[in-house]
Amino acid sequence: MIKVEGISKYYRLGTQGAGRFREDFGHWWRGTPGPSRDGVSGKEAHIWALRDVSFTIGEGEVAGFIGKNGAGKSTLLKIISRITRPTEGRIRGRGRIASLLEVGTGFHSELTGRENIFLNGHILGMTRREIQSQFDEIVDFSGVGAFLDTPVKRYSSGMYVRLAFAVAAHLMPEILIVDEVLAVGDAEFQQKCLRKMKEISGKKGRTVLFVSHNLQALGNLCQRVFILEKGRLADSGPPTAMIARYLREDCIQCLRQAYDDPVVAPGNAHIRIKRVELIPSYPGEEELIDVRTALRLELEFWYEPTGSEDIIVGIHLFTLGGDCIFDVASPRSYPGKGLIRASCEIPAHFLNDGSYYISIVFVSNTTKRLFYFESCLSFEVADHRENTAWYGKWMGHVRPDFKVQLETYNPFAHV
Amino acid sequence: MQREKEWDWEIDPKYHWFKWELGAIPRYKDLLYRLVRRDLLANYQQSVLGPLWILVQPVLTTLLYWIIFGRIVKVSTNGVPPLPFYLSGIICWNFFADCLSGTMYTFITNSAIFSKVWFPRLLVPLSGILAHSLRLAIQLGLFILLYGYYYLHNRLPGPGIGWLMLPIVLLLTGLFGLGVGLILSVATAKYRDLDYSLQFILRLWMFASPVFYPAAIIPAGFVLWFWLNPLTPLIEAFRALCFGWGAIPAGYLWMAAGTVLAVLIVGVALFKRHETSLTDIV
Repeated sequence: MIKVEGISKYYRLGTQGAGRFREDFGHWWRGTPGPSRDGVSGKEAHIWALRDVSFTIGEGEVAGFIGKNGAGKSTLLKIISRITRPTEGRIRGRGRIASLLEVGTGFHSELTGRENIFLNGHILGMTRREIQSQFDEIVDFSGVGAFLDTPVKRYSSGMYVRLAFAVAAHLMPEILIVDEVLAVGDAEFQQKCLRKMKEISGKKGRTVLFVSHNLQALGNLCQRVFILEKGRLADSGPPTAMIARYLREDCIQCLRQAYDDPVVAPGNAHIRIKRVELIPSYPGEEELIDVRTALRLELEFWYEPTGSEDIIVGIHLFTLGGDCIFDVASPRSYPGKGLIRASCEIPAHFLNDGSYYISIVFVSNTTKRLFYFESCLSFEVADHRENTAWYGKWMGHVRPDFKVQLETYNPFAHV
Repeated sequence: MQREKEWDWEIDPKYHWFKWELGAIPRYKDLLYRLVRRDLLANYQQSVLGPLWILVQPVLTTLLYWIIFGRIVKVSTNGVPPLPFYLSGIICWNFFADCLSGTMYTFITNSAIFSKVWFPRLLVPLSGILAHSLRLAIQLGLFILLYGYYYLHNRLPGPGIGWLMLPIVLLLTGLFGLGVGLILSVATAKYRDLDYSLQFILRLWMFASPVFYPAAIIPAGFVLWFWLNPLTPLIEAFRALCFGWGAIPAGYLWMAAGTVLAVLIVGVALFKRHETSLTDIV
């Protein structure tokens, strides 16, 4: 049971970093106020990471939190975990809390797997008796049994993560706080983790607070989902309704930018953007871009060539993490001045679920960059799966619909 | 109103100087034990000599002091054979310096853990003190062997009832290191440019403490200043008890105890007040 009342968190930017004694002492000595660092002026140099957030989570309830990066999800979990302090408001609760903001916290690379199970378990708040009673299960779950007495610095990253999650999964707090830990490990292990999470919340009746970008997992595990938007609690309710609302919000998706007047339009002397738009063809009734949705990119711009140079328009598609998925370009062409139109089709069953953004580049004479319209469009692709019991993150940035065939060609062969 | 009392815990935005939550520490005694173990295991698995290093370091330092201060510079040892004299000073100083420098970087070296999981932060410096106490115990074993040798050769008096005071003297020495370390841990987290000056001050502090000389040779004009340093009465008391020097001024000893207590209270209060806000900085 957690009661959150009017929580706000204020961060000063710039001044927040570790300072220099010499400067601060100097200002104190001369009686002058210290300047805010990094050249940020006093008035703008702060953000409210959370603003007046209140809610109550009942015993045994599984609550999910969604929101864009920077919406305050992690700050909220950090405040509830007592890692950072709210600026206003208060939180009261009943029951022992364990937070899992990162698996493997406190692992020491010089120590063996066995030592680290205890160390990590204690750091997460387990007693020795609790760890001992679950020790075999933890080792079994992690599958690193043979390397138990090897220093973890010799572990592969997969083994490391598995051991770390195994410890965390066997925590026995009344309230468990989990931040995006499902994004680690291989697919098989993720599945195991999700099953374990379900078991923790379902059978054992623990309260779980859960942040994930994996909307499908969230929808499956949670009874209630909270949407955070720019530090405020925007809405809360049953998961399906909340996830649909979250994806509809144009704060996540910027599918269109249009300018009527070339003077205010983004660009320069050669290029002015009139319109750039992503038009989805939704497969069903719902207006929701998922892996089955084809996307058509349309672009209109004013063009003013300097001479007889050519122009190439390129489209760069990035994941939110900044990996470039593709870079496609138009052939060289020599249009005269005026309004130019370009378009491109991103087929259905191409992108995996995730967040993406598009930048458009205008190049002349193959090398001279006329204009780079950076991250002008952004969108989120939702997951869609049929007939599958597996909700972990589907691997890869693309999810093409290539057919994989299986057949028996020798029924008499033995393993 | 009845329901209000049912909450187990509460998080509020206020900063408290004296909400120390020491009651939470016993619940984490398993973690404390593990942290001490981690400290000892990880340190000695990494070094060439392993746990032997605990003894090699004071032995080599003692020999070096014996050559430099005993043979070359010829500093008085107040009638005590040089080896036990230097070893006693080095053991006391090292215990203090280890407790201090083990604590003063608490927030910097543990920022990764502190930003991910909550547990009573004081456990980290406490575990450091306990690990150093174990090292101290081993070094004291060496000192007792050396002492026994000189005792059998009738060059040192036998142990008296005063030896029961030794744990108190050493406890005060360790707590002083902890207290100063706690204050500095807040400072080093806030100001990164303090590091060099602090290392330098620590080195000077050693020369200002009676590690390789007895307090008896301090010129009259400086006596008060030297004795205001709590380490002077503490190290002197340690030697007086071991080497049968007779009583040292009780006033200075009480003052040292008072200073240690005051520094410790300021240290814990400062540490507790800033422990969460420093997580936002580091």
